Amino acid sequence: MSDELFNREEFISYFRDEAEELLQQIDADLLRLEEFVSSGETDPEIVNSLFRALHTVKGSAGMLGFTDVQNLAHKLENLCDLLRKERMPLSESAVDILFTGRDLLTALVEAAIGTHEAPGGVDEYIRKLDQFTSIYEETSHVIEGRMGEQHSFEEAAAAEEEQVSTADVAAFEAEVARLLAEAETRRGSGVAPSTPAPVAAFEGEVASAMPLPVPAPSAPAPSASPVAAEAPRPNGGEKNGPAKTGGEKRSSIHQTIRVDIERLDALLNLVGELVINRTRISDIANTLERLMSNKGANGGAAMANAGVIAPLAKDLADSAALLARTTNEIQESIMKVRMVPIGQVFDRFPRLVRDVAKARGKEVQLVISGAETDLDKTIVDEVGEPLMHLLRNNVDHGIEAPDEREKLGKPRIGTISLNAYHEGNQIIIEVSDDGGGINLEKVRARALKQGLIAADDRLTDREIVELIFTPGFSTAEVVSDVSGRGVGMDVVKRNITRLKGVFDVDTVPGQGTRFTIKLPLTLAIIQALLVRVADELYAIPLDSVIESQRVEMTDVRTVHGNEVITLRGQVVPLVRIAEFFQLGGERDPEKVMIVIVGLQGRQVGLVVDSFEGEQEIVIKPLSDVVGRIPGISGATILGNGSISLIIDVHSLVSEAYSSGKVARAEFSGV
Amino acid sequence: MADAKEDKRQQLSGEVVQVVSFRLGSEEYGVDISQVQEIIRLVEITHVPRAPRFMEGVINLRGQLIPIIDLRTRFGMSRIDSTKSTRIIVTEIGNKRVGIVVDSVSEVLNIPIENVEDAPEMIAGVGTEYIQGVGKMDERLIIMLDLTMVISGDEKRELEQLGEQAVAS
Repeated sequence: MSDELFNREEFISYFRDEAEELLQQIDADLLRLEEFVSSGETDPEIVNSLFRALHTVKGSAGMLGFTDVQNLAHKLENLCDLLRKERMPLSESAVDILFTGRDLLTALVEAAIGTHEAPGGVDEYIRKLDQFTSIYEETSHVIEGRMGEQHSFEEAAAAEEEQVSTADVAAFEAEVARLLAEAETRRGSGVAPSTPAPVAAFEGEVASAMPLPVPAPSAPAPSASPVAAEAPRPNGGEKNGPAKTGGEKRSSIHQTIRVDIERLDALLNLVGELVINRTRISDIANTLERLMSNKGANGGAAMANAGVIAPLAKDLADSAALLARTTNEIQESIMKVRMVPIGQVFDRFPRLVRDVAKARGKEVQLVISGAETDLDKTIVDEVGEPLMHLLRNNVDHGIEAPDEREKLGKPRIGTISLNAYHEGNQIIIEVSDDGGGINLEKVRARALKQGLIAADDRLTDREIVELIFTPGFSTAEVVSDVSGRGVGMDVVKRNITRLKGVFDVDTVPGQGTRFTIKLPLTLAIIQALLVRVADELYAIPLDSVIESQRVEMTDVRTVHGNEVITLRGQVVPLVRIAEFFQLGGERDPEKVMIVIVGLQGRQVGLVVDSFEGEQEIVIKPLSDVVGRIPGISGATILGNGSISLIIDVHSLVSEAYSSGKVARAEFSGV
Repeated sequence: MADAKEDKRQQLSGEVVQVVSFRLGSEEYGVDISQVQEIIRLVEITHVPRAPRFMEGVINLRGQLIPIIDLRTRFGMSRIDSTKSTRIIVTEIGNKRVGIVVDSVSEVLNIPIENVEDAPEMIAGVGTEYIQGVGKMDERLIIMLDLTMVISGDEKRELEQLGEQAVAS
């Protein structure tokens, strides 16, 4: 019984992952499909891919008894089937219906796995969907009736598998064209939104394609060889750009596997252990070698064994060196495995941009480059939301309305580019648009009105741009549901800062805006300054270290009994780490070793016993082992296996400030 | 009172109890083998400032950080320098892996259940709930310990909540 329960949970977790991936793919397919709407023809590859994805979702949902999901997926699959078999022309309304359906399906999946409330309006949607498809289903019944038993439409349209004579196909096409025209007339009477242009185009396509033989008449049946499956079909046969790239993308998916990140961490731990043992073996090898070179001093006994041991010692040393190289490589490889392409996040943006642009009556194309750029999984998960805000902002505030763009001599369709690339051990993500840029006057006026600045404040352009990051700031005249609620840019900036990233903006009025995000490749590894305090090693994250200094005690002054130093005319309060953590140990009466750390513009000097150099460290959370401790953010395991605690500069300094000591010293302004 | 003690002894079920015996000072203790995950040599214990009082520090167990409890400190015995035979018994308390420092680990003993007696009244008072009984093997007296009880209920709760606290914040 409990076994069954466990299995089900595992299944659901698998279903969730799978559905997420498939829904993402459906989204991508729909977007590509939409590009074909204007031509009215359907790319069979895309529709097939859609059909398969929906079919898989349906199957998995059915297995788990998620009937709502199964039901909707089935209905959507039906629609795709009609498209696939070309019983229904590709139209904007069909794509829109599929988009809406996909969203509802996502909501239903989330409801089924219990992460969200069940969405409303599903029944209504299904009713509409049925209404929409029924027109074409009727059409096809007629066709099937006429075709009789020998070659049902279904088999014929699946062309790759079924043997169909050229004549049959030609007859078909004529029939389809006629019936579609009929369907069109019926639709024109208001049953469903009409899309005359695409259908007309489709008919044209059918007409022009008809004289073309399917395969060469003399050729063997299409099913005979795999090549024949690729043979161009009467219509929709021209494969263009999007279809090709789609095919390649799918094949790359097959070469990836999904691994629980915890397993990777466990692997990394084991490799850490390997590294430690490697160091020990190297030590032993070194010791042996030293002993061998000292053999003269030890006299006869050692000499007697030297002949045997010397080559062994050398072997051991060689082997230890090899082991060292291999373990390092393993460690690096595992760190790389944690890295995933940022494309995982980018994938959902074309849809977002499309929806927002549509809602705002704008025409926008999103150009993505560098989707293959790798970064740590944990950051990929976090960076999505800020990017989403940015893109919304670009569409909403950046890109002008199509007519306005035309007047300005710009192409009607605005372009937003999303670009990612590596630079050193950082990843740079750029979001730029060719819109109107940030209107500095407007920002200034708005800030004035909101009381963020005073009328006589003299601000540089840069400072004005910075105003958009102020909480509550918004230039949008009307609060829209997309952006402009006064949340956004400040949240974006805060999120990026939390990921230890840097956020920057460049804007040229009339030409566009570029947001630049710089993020560390991983949050798990940081550069740190190791220091010794009361015989223990502590690590201070290097990103908060300004400098380290040795200061004579004579230069340390006290204010209200608290120690301060004067650094380039600024009074810097000192916090003795040994005393903060109550570690004991004695003060050096002659000098202090100080690490100056910066925090929100304030500087504090942390007093340590000695500096032990910089090192890259892997952060391990400590809170689930010993609880949250003010001043400590985690721990790291050093190369020799010993543990070093990582100092949380933020909480240490704020605690020191709140205890009053430091504040008083600074207040008196020596 | 007698019932409670009876219960404690009852926990040591079966014909024979298999215990890992270890030493603290001159006394010999035993812990049910099912409570022992592994026994490791003493490694460097990193002191963690402001950690819960019952914790001596943390160690690195194959890349995993685990808290350490010093049984001498726990039992109010004098601290001694670690020796070559000092060991850490890795066990689990409230779903958390914990290391317990002892002077030395001797062997695995099979003690017939009839040789296990209730702890004498004098030592079985309040605060010694972790003593399950006393086992006799020839001339040896083995104090049977429940390692999961060596920290108090409050401390145990504190230990169990550590992870949750971290998630909530």
